[in-house]
Amino acid sequence: MSKATLHSIDSAFLLEMDPDGRLNLASCLQCGRCSSGCTMRLETDILPHQLNRMVALGLTEQMLSSKAIWACVSCHTCVSRCPMKVDTPTLIDRLRQKAKAAPKEMDRVRIFNEAFLASVRRFGRVWEFGLMAAYKTRARDFFSDLGKLPAMLRKGKLSLLPPPKGARKAVATIFNRTIGKRRAAK
Amino acid sequence: MKYAFFPGCSLESTARDFQMSTLAVAQALGIELQEIPDWSCCGSSPAHSTDALLAASLPARNLAAARRLEKDVVVCCAACYSRLAAANKALADDENLRIEVSKVIGEMYGGTVRVRHFLQVLREDLGIAEIRKLVTRSLGGLRVACYYGCLLTRPRELSIVSDPEDPQLMEELLAAAGATPVEWPFKTECCGASFSITRTDTVKRLSGEILKMAKESGADCVVVACPLCQNNLDLRQADIAAAIGKEIGLPVFYFTQLLGRALGLSDEALGIGKLMTSPEKVLAR
Ligand code: SF4
Ligand code: SF4
Repeated sequence: MSKATLHSIDSAFLLEMDPDGRLNLASCLQCGRCSSGCTMRLETDILPHQLNRMVALGLTEQMLSSKAIWACVSCHTCVSRCPMKVDTPTLIDRLRQKAKAAPKEMDRVRIFNEAFLASVRRFGRVWEFGLMAAYKTRARDFFSDLGKLPAMLRKGKLSLLPPPKGARKAVATIFNRTIGKRRAAK
Repeated sequence: MKYAFFPGCSLESTARDFQMSTLAVAQALGIELQEIPDWSCCGSSPAHSTDALLAASLPARNLAAARRLEKDVVVCCAACYSRLAAANKALADDENLRIEVSKVIGEMYGGTVRVRHFLQVLREDLGIAEIRKLVTRSLGGLRVACYYGCLLTRPRELSIVSDPEDPQLMEELLAAAGATPVEWPFKTECCGASFSITRTDTVKRLSGEILKMAKESGADCVVVACPLCQNNLDLRQADIAAAIGKEIGLPVFYFTQLLGRALGLSDEALGIGKLMTSPEKVLAR
């Protein structure tokens, strides 16, 4: 992690992440309660209280390239225990939305998110069987969980057929008007 | 009692047993669940990780459709509940978002519909005492570890329970059905949720801790209200047991499945046969 000096502190990023102050990012006391209960504390590279200090210091690039923002499982333990109601999960959402790529060991999370949204965009609902096939192809993860497939099909927990057509058009319009062509290419 | 019902994608596939048992229990209790016509996916974690406007618009479309039914929305999937309730609150609080979303979904929706989890409806609208009266086949002291996970308890503003660190909602309900809830400390720990596919080792570690604690606390089974939790604890249980070299053998029921049994419904109607970890032994006692 690079050093921040007083003259390099850039509050523009704090304002970008929390323009109306709803996330209370500027109120962080650095008490560490968020980090002590973080579900991902053993697997992350930057703990929640550190993220909250880094955002105030404007250490944008370090945050955007971190493992932390992809390791976060959005469990909301941090914010629910925070004395200042600092909304770390929403900060992390905003960082993930802004990040152009994920570190290699975390790329599967990003690939899954894209495959999931592609399924919703196309069918209006998630078609889990199709999603699994698409994800496995893109993540080059062909063999894990294959053993569970027969039982899941037998128990009717996965369908070989995509969901009914009802909502497809309306949902495609929502995608076109929000993320548009972005992220759809891959 | 009539409600607009949002099933969500999981209840149509991996959590089909949650859907079956919910509909069967609702019918037995005289609760009418009218499915929202042409409902669509709530967007789940991938949407809020990708784009804020998309994450608000996908739920808003469904809530606007529910508004036309003029009833409260009832949700069973904890993930859908969390996304619908979060978007609903954001739309009520934020005028700019409301305007942006209206351009996306083609109608103005201001977060006016009430979004509720089925557990809330059972307790608040029907009442535990009323449910107790309808029990025809007591669960006979079955020791249940009620597990809530994240999405029903946090963040606080959207929590369906009064104490997000030590909820008692499922405990009260299942005690009324004749079960004996065990007290245990991991009720609201995270199971790894949506990392089930992408970061399986993480999920096995987190879910493994939860199962071990439930076992050590003397539970015969785990009871959940979330398809993600159920999948992680049940579908991955054999792998977890193999990894720790110990038998776990804890069936993971949806609360509706056990409640349905207490109401005298058949295992077939409740989708009991769809559980991966066999419940036969604990139900036979
Ligand atoms: S718990 Fe809140 S105030 Fe304390 S370090 Fe974390 S974000 Fe800051
Ligand atoms: S929401 Fe993310 S950062 Fe907060 S406790 Fe959970 S995993 Fe950690």
